[in-house]
Amino acid sequence: MRIFNRIIVVLLLAALVALGIATVFYAFDLAGYRLANLPRVLGLDGFAQSLSSFVNNVENRNLNPLDYVVLGAIALLGLILLIMEFKPPTPRRVRMQQGTYITRRAVRDEVVEATERNSEVLQSDVDVAAQRRPGAKVDVTASVRRGEDTSRLQSEVRNSVQQHLGRVGVPVSNLNVRIAESDPRQTKTRVK
Amino acid sequence: MIDDLQLARAVRETALATAGVHSMGSGRYAEAATYGAGEKVTGVVVDPSSVRVHIIARYPLTEPIPSLAERVRERVALRTEGRPAMIVVEDLEVEQNENL
Repeated sequence: MRIFNRIIVVLLLAALVALGIATVFYAFDLAGYRLANLPRVLGLDGFAQSLSSFVNNVENRNLNPLDYVVLGAIALLGLILLIMEFKPPTPRRVRMQQGTYITRRAVRDEVVEATERNSEVLQSDVDVAAQRRPGAKVDVTASVRRGEDTSRLQSEVRNSVQQHLGRVGVPVSNLNVRIAESDPRQTKTRVK
Repeated sequence: MIDDLQLARAVRETALATAGVHSMGSGRYAEAATYGAGEKVTGVVVDPSSVRVHIIARYPLTEPIPSLAERVRERVALRTEGRPAMIVVEDLEVEQNENL
């Protein structure tokens, strides 16, 4: 989101620079430019007329409901972007202690190893997110054959991951395990 | 007062000399290194306000990863001239004779 905000700010600043330069030319009547001709020069005659009538409508308190909706939506979008800009970015690495971190990839590799140690798990998809507080948020989706006891497997995979991460010392603050029944022909491993 | 490259070299040597450290990491999206004239020190990023050290831990582990990272941080902190050290464990390297 920060990148999106930055792009918007860059575009706004570029437009301000262009407008500033144009205003200097037109304000001082340099090279025969006149401010009244600006919309025609830019090919925005229609837009300039619409804008002028819109401003007149605002002054006369004569807006239609669609205008209110559009203005409200623009204000809301600006508010959302402002709040997102103030929000601190999500860290890229998982914090362990003060000044010590582990990469999300390293955590993912360990979780995959612990999950696929179970002979009934054919494939695992692991998503690791770093948080501002110590510990990782880990989402595990383990693919098993149809007809397996999913609640038992969910508990086994959870225990296995917790024990393994506890042994290597990777802190996990939130572990979600999901068991998905899959066709073995579509998984990484067919038989174990 | 030593320059950034000398500091990075000293930090790298200290980190590599710590038991449990297999090698230095190189970053993932951007290279983690300190650059100098005709030379770079991979795995150590020296900033004016901090020193970031990327390590790859040796597996099997002799201690939990946070303890290893903390031990590296303590050792490295002696060489950073007062700048706070930040340790990033990038990966675990499995020894060849480990049948995992």
